Amino acid sequence: MILRKTYDLLGSLNLGLWLIGGVTLLLGIGSFVTGTEEIARLNSMPLFAWLTTAPGARCWWLWLSLLLLALLALNTVLCTIESLRQKKGRSGLLLRLAPQVMHAGFLLIVLAHLISSVGGFKQVMQVGEWSRIGFPDGAGVRIERLDAEVAVQGYITDFSASVTTSDGRRGVIRPNEPFFWQGVGIYLKQVEIYPVKFGILEIHREPGAGWAFSGAVLFTLGNIVLVTRRRQDKTVSGNNEQ
Amino acid sequence: MFAAVGNVSLLYLSPWIWYEGYAMKWPLLIPIALYCFGSFTRPLFAAALLGQLAYLGWRGSELGRLPLIGPHDTLTFFSASIGVMALPLVYGRLLRDETAFRWSTGMMAGLFALLALPFPAMNMPLPPILRTYWFEGHVVLAFFAYALFGVGAILGALFLFGRGRILLDLQYRVILVGYTFFSLSMISGGIWGYYAWGTYWLWTPKELWTSILWLFYSLWLHLRLKGAEWDRAISWGALAGFAITLFTYLGVSMLMKSSHSF
Repeated sequence: MILRKTYDLLGSLNLGLWLIGGVTLLLGIGSFVTGTEEIARLNSMPLFAWLTTAPGARCWWLWLSLLLLALLALNTVLCTIESLRQKKGRSGLLLRLAPQVMHAGFLLIVLAHLISSVGGFKQVMQVGEWSRIGFPDGAGVRIERLDAEVAVQGYITDFSASVTTSDGRRGVIRPNEPFFWQGVGIYLKQVEIYPVKFGILEIHREPGAGWAFSGAVLFTLGNIVLVTRRRQDKTVSGNNEQ
Repeated sequence: MFAAVGNVSLLYLSPWIWYEGYAMKWPLLIPIALYCFGSFTRPLFAAALLGQLAYLGWRGSELGRLPLIGPHDTLTFFSASIGVMALPLVYGRLLRDETAFRWSTGMMAGLFALLALPFPAMNMPLPPILRTYWFEGHVVLAFFAYALFGVGAILGALFLFGRGRILLDLQYRVILVGYTFFSLSMISGGIWGYYAWGTYWLWTPKELWTSILWLFYSLWLHLRLKGAEWDRAISWGALAGFAITLFTYLGVSMLMKSSHSF
């Protein structure tokens, strides 16, 4: 009996609404209390590394948000199970499945963030032509060439870096065109040519990216099906279930 | 106002700058006037939108890109988006005789276009990091979503003023489509971020408020499952949602330090 009540509570719409509202409120508070310095730190390291080192006054809202988000993830799973069970035979298959596919997409995106928050990596470095970026296993990437296009007004309009890996692979890094190798992405942030030619590179590992993309695809598919099926409904009332 | 807002400095109080600025922007005054004083008729509403689209088209052809940088261009684009999203409803069967809807959406579009006027039009070429379809798609989808959230708020307000429940059904569809656009905007932003900065997510005030906005409308869409007795709350919720939308778009850019402004 108690287990049943707990199960019903954890999968209830009301709990879901309160949890969404709670996370929303906490994120709003966090946007004001965190401060630009801590935000810069937060963006330079995996989330859990920041959470365990940041002052409590700056990060309490995120700890609470994560707790509520974990409960919301559980609520979503249970709600999906119950929703599919209860709607069986009552409405079209697509309309029944679409919201649950969206839920699945949402859960994958939450999982992606969790993976990135423990396994992410970022390093910034200044390089010149013929610099070598060394990897722990002895492999490396050499910067063969740095190029920049300069407008007549004197500002740089485009830039690139030609690279070669120790296994013979070649590539060109540009803005929005990183070089992926050995599980990391190498990003060219800036090139300066006067008085000395140098570039600023960032090395990123984002282990959750694939999961986030998968979640995004699922969410979008479910969302589009829901929108198109809803348009075909002649009467849409507040009692219609998503 | 000018000294405090965003990166607009006291320089823009210079009469010459104002003259030059308005000389370039005068074509926008016509749609603003049509929106504010002519929206009671559908042809004038449509004419206002056409005028705006013509202005944006002209700016785009001058720049060689979509005009999506800075407060002037984004406010104008937002205003035009409201017109675009409202137009099917203005001419649709359900709201054909609803003058209040035409006025409200016209005034909303006119107001944001008017707000665009004091800001300088940014004519610089796009920096390399913004030269990608992911950026343009991200911004366009966001403004389409904002516009639909605005239209949804108006429908909610009309319901609160005693119009029929059919407006709530329409509101649901409008906001659901807006939610779809907004979700796609977040996804395209994440993809762009991954290729531009190495991560699909950054902890900045803009991203936080984007999440807040998305979560709010997720809550709003689920709130409808509570039943008809929640109709008034849902209507008020749409108004609150649009307030959050405006803070996400304008408030964060103007009042908070974020690399992700306008």
